[in-house]
Amino acid sequence: MSKNNRDSCTLELKAMSRHFGPVKALDGLNLTVQPGELVALLGPSGCGKTTALRIVAGLEVATSGELLLNGDRYNETPANHRDMGMVFQSYSLFPNLTVSENIDYGLRARKVDSDKRQKRVTEMLELVALESKAKSFPHQLSGGQQQRVALARALAIQPRVLLLDEPLSALDAQVRGQIREEIRRIQLDLGITTLFVTHDQEEAMAISDRVGVMSHGRLEQIDKPIVLYNSPATSFVATFVGLANRIPAEITAKGKARVLNQKVNILDSAESFEEGSQVNVIIRPESLELVSESDDEATRGIVALKSFLGPMTKVGIAVEGAPLIHLNISSREVRKLEIGDRIAFKISSDEVMAERV
Amino acid sequence: MKRFTLKWPLVISSSVLALLIFVVPLYGAAVYSFKGNGGKGHSWTNYQWLIHQDGFYPSLLTSLKLAVLAALLTLALMVPTMVYLNLKGQKYKSLVDFLCILPLIIPVVSLAIGAQVAMPKILQNSEYELVFFFVIIALPYTYRALDTSLQTIALKTLVEASRSLGASWTSTIILVIVPAIRSGITGALFLTFALSIGEYTITSLLHWETFPTWTVVAAQQNILGAIAISVFSFVGAIALLSVIALLPKRSAQRVEVDE
Repeated sequence: MSKNNRDSCTLELKAMSRHFGPVKALDGLNLTVQPGELVALLGPSGCGKTTALRIVAGLEVATSGELLLNGDRYNETPANHRDMGMVFQSYSLFPNLTVSENIDYGLRARKVDSDKRQKRVTEMLELVALESKAKSFPHQLSGGQQQRVALARALAIQPRVLLLDEPLSALDAQVRGQIREEIRRIQLDLGITTLFVTHDQEEAMAISDRVGVMSHGRLEQIDKPIVLYNSPATSFVATFVGLANRIPAEITAKGKARVLNQKVNILDSAESFEEGSQVNVIIRPESLELVSESDDEATRGIVALKSFLGPMTKVGIAVEGAPLIHLNISSREVRKLEIGDRIAFKISSDEVMAERV
Repeated sequence: MKRFTLKWPLVISSSVLALLIFVVPLYGAAVYSFKGNGGKGHSWTNYQWLIHQDGFYPSLLTSLKLAVLAALLTLALMVPTMVYLNLKGQKYKSLVDFLCILPLIIPVVSLAIGAQVAMPKILQNSEYELVFFFVIIALPYTYRALDTSLQTIALKTLVEASRSLGASWTSTIILVIVPAIRSGITGALFLTFALSIGEYTITSLLHWETFPTWTVVAAQQNILGAIAISVFSFVGAIALLSVIALLPKRSAQRVEVDE
């Protein structure tokens, strides 16, 4: 398998802003992607993740801030001179060109020798396992195949950075999983610095070295997926990454709260809460467990919802004075439960995150 | 149950009527163009008369040359302009829309005299000035043909993909956009060519001789010959345009997708 002959490079965005009139699509974004690293930008629609990617690609002009590649400023470099490979959500294959010609396009634009081009196209077709489709036109391929061609086309030019703009969004679930793994395999194999934009947290968590969660044009937190999930820095991250219950609670002392029938410790945060103040605590479904009704700390409720998710089932419990509370219970265990049954549960984690109401 | 509607009978009857209106005069003209001397029998006499007339070949060649140049100039001007308007100049589109309708609104006499005064001297004394007039009168049609075509493709992402792969604007337009809007370009080409080769008023006002102006003069000498000219012009134009339309398209047939 051919490696990316280019050395991987560091990508830096420094205080990057992009304003559309009064709207701040990006608001002082700082981000560093290390050589060979795959960083995902994750966030809801309108959070600025695609704007950031387009600025890196040269398809959007930043209002202020700096774009650096290995320390060199690239703000003014036109898109066609940036040496970045980009894969688009809508594939964007050239409909009049065959698969081979699509892959060859960037090499032709760079006036690479014919022999070298041919060799590179063959390597790329092998890389994405589409040798048999070399002479097909894009409309003769499935969505997954088209996206693999788009990936091969972006990689053929041996880009300094690979940019992925929601490349899996237009694919069905099964193909999405396959292509996701293929992207990661190729990225690791080539050791190419990659920036991946998605609104799908599962996608981001599954293949990224680090995930940056964005909101309102800023990075809320950037870290390894497991750290983001287990130790979210803000309530936004906690609720955006993974499923989380927001349950009303009362601060009983510094760092302590009463939630439902139970006393819990509050995680350290920048915000301090006064004694007696009302807060919401954020608790993941797996941090709640079913217990016996005789447990003193147990909260009692009624099963209001069951959603089968394969090995686990999400159970919604209606509790007086609280919104519907979700638990993840093993599907084998949940078979005994019916909607309307009374059950008891308690918080199993030692510390929870709180936010002001 | 499906309700009976008047839709299909109406479509069929109006199509038949349109066909009759179009075909009957052409058929009549074709029959008359083959009438022999004194209107009796059938022969090629009128066509032989036509090709032996002074000025037939020069005027025909002039018209063809000017029409080809007008079609090429239209594409060279309009394709990049339309791409720009659809990509970055959306706010100017309504203005350009209006400007492109002006050739239909401004009386031809005003257009011919006014525009000629504005032409550089070197063009005022050359028949090539007609090329610019032909481009102007074809503008309302070429604008719509190209605009409609550009709106059917994912222009923005195709351009962005091409640019991010290192292609210049010129390469992007020639290698990506032009093939993608082939139908619109063919339409614009047809319309400009057809309008140019048949244009009479401006040419006559500016005292140039092209095939249509020569035809008017020649037709005064021989009425059946004039009909032969009309049929010749019509068949010739259709044949030329058909050749362009039938040029091989570079895309494969749609086949079943296998995953």
